[in-house]
Amino acid sequence: MKTITIAGVEINKVSIFELLFNKTMLFSYILLAIGVFGIYEVINERYFLLTANSLDAGLNPGSAEVANAFKEAIFGAGGEVKRESPWTLYISNYIYMIYTGSGIIFIVTLAELLNIDLLKKTAAGFLTFGLCMVFGGLFTIIFDLNTLHMHWMFLTPNVGAGMWLMLPLYMVYISFVLFEIYLLISENKEWIKKIALLILILGISIDIAEYYIQAKLFNMNTARHLWTTYPILPLYFIVSSFLAASGVMIAYSYVTYRDSFKEHFKQLLLLLKKITLFMIIVLGAYEAVSFLFIDKKWANVILFSGFAYEFYIYALLAIVIPFGFLIYRFFQERINNTLMIMTSLFIIVGTYIGRFIFVYGGNAYPMSDRFGKGFERYTEYDIAKDFIFFFPHMSEIYIVIGSVGVVIAAYKVLNTLFNVSKISNH
Amino acid sequence: MNYAMALEYQNCINCKACEVACKQENGVQLGADKQRIWVGQNEDFIFGNPTVNYYPSQCNHCIDAPCVSVCPTNASYFTEEGLVLTDKDKCILCKGCMEACPYDARFVDDKYVAVDKCTFCFDTRISMGETTTACQATCPTKVRLFGDLDDENGELVQLLKRKKFFVLKESEGTVPKLFYIFPDDEQFAINSIGQDTTIHTWDTFKPLIDEAIKRRDS
Repeated sequence: MKTITIAGVEINKVSIFELLFNKTMLFSYILLAIGVFGIYEVINERYFLLTANSLDAGLNPGSAEVANAFKEAIFGAGGEVKRESPWTLYISNYIYMIYTGSGIIFIVTLAELLNIDLLKKTAAGFLTFGLCMVFGGLFTIIFDLNTLHMHWMFLTPNVGAGMWLMLPLYMVYISFVLFEIYLLISENKEWIKKIALLILILGISIDIAEYYIQAKLFNMNTARHLWTTYPILPLYFIVSSFLAASGVMIAYSYVTYRDSFKEHFKQLLLLLKKITLFMIIVLGAYEAVSFLFIDKKWANVILFSGFAYEFYIYALLAIVIPFGFLIYRFFQERINNTLMIMTSLFIIVGTYIGRFIFVYGGNAYPMSDRFGKGFERYTEYDIAKDFIFFFPHMSEIYIVIGSVGVVIAAYKVLNTLFNVSKISNH
Repeated sequence: MNYAMALEYQNCINCKACEVACKQENGVQLGADKQRIWVGQNEDFIFGNPTVNYYPSQCNHCIDAPCVSVCPTNASYFTEEGLVLTDKDKCILCKGCMEACPYDARFVDDKYVAVDKCTFCFDTRISMGETTTACQATCPTKVRLFGDLDDENGELVQLLKRKKFFVLKESEGTVPKLFYIFPDDEQFAINSIGQDTTIHTWDTFKPLIDEAIKRRDS
């Protein structure tokens, strides 16, 4: 394939048709189309929902729109979110995508620092896929927010808020990871070698800062004791993200390196197997210990009540079953492809459920026991709830599906242009 | 100035006049879940006798309000009058403030695509010279009393000096400013207040207010 070189980076000369119309891209378009439908629904619901206040009837007597708005107020779904459960599937998917992507980036950067050859050779591909997962997370969150007011993030920033810190964090983080990828795929080896150590140390520092800020985002919600009593929350995010990341890395390796990295593919899988097993043990130990510290009201909801099924499914899929699969003939250093693929899929699904429980679990114990005499109901037609859960809107689910399309499309485009999955010998 | 409110909640008859007045006065979005103020209810059996508690509620305008510290755009802010308000134009709908509030006092106003909450009628009445909020003015049983905590001779402080009171979820450290007056009827108090609630007098609570303001301003 013909290439052009810009700033030391070889770029494949491909036609627009080759770039945008191939099997992978077409698959991503299907997912993106579902996402776009979700976006349409969200925009319709958010900006074009008929709403009214008491003044509208007086100001617009006889208006059919006001009449319909009244009807919506009485019989409608009550808007996008309920006051008892403001953070929903958007946040679950956002933190899954972002934290898992960051986990991949963290593991690979750490491996580079520790001079682990197998991951150094495959670093550009892993980093790019991790970064694309970050894009998928940002795609999700952007449609959760009222983007028409986003300029206030720059005009009147509250620099102490975890939510605001996400903005500079990802501006720096994404730029930095792009620079790391650039260094990996660049031909200018000499000066890269000189700054490599500094870049890696900086990379690790940014990764740690990222997890700290992500934890702050949840930790500042002082009334949601699930999030405030998780012991060393940044550590939980690091541990759980590393496990999710290792699951994704196994799947990515099968798709990308099975043929192209044939001579070392088994070694790569054995390495990922060790990393995954180690992370399963650490996460399992962490979860077992953490529930000794988590506020008993929330712990009860998760372990024995509303989220019990989901929690044990999470524990089985993310920890117990993969542990069994990986420990099976572990010391024989053999790879059973079926077990590895199943391990990867179970971890990906299991850790996703874990994120879901973490976000929804934070809201699960109602805030309505304010007088210490039991849960209150807020409206005449409501019932008092001892467990808060609202099923996500279909539009959210569509956008989550769309975010997977974003990851695949972004990765495919970058890989087609820059060949990031090529085995590097730096 | 440090605006606050006392509630003689034992007087509440759940007529919902306050909810209607609030919606009318402040143009709050219609809908059962869209309430700046509401009457929380719980039902219980005590020794076989059914009891119903009515808890008139709204934003506590906490001195150490977590909703303000989590807001990324300063859309939630403290006013010089000690209120916690939201600037709907700046709200990016991250819903962080809703998560941070221990009282579920905030909701999404779909009309403005922003978070909304009680303002103590600051923009619609108080800043125009009125001395009562709409909910106070309309209440047939005089549940609410709005006033200034800095005015030692004012009706509010005088009431708090005269009566015992408690605040909600004190352990959260938010230093809320809805003061629920301890009921005169002992049985009513037993039925409606949890055992962990700390009952305050003005002398025990005033230092908490001063400390919280100092902490916030430092």
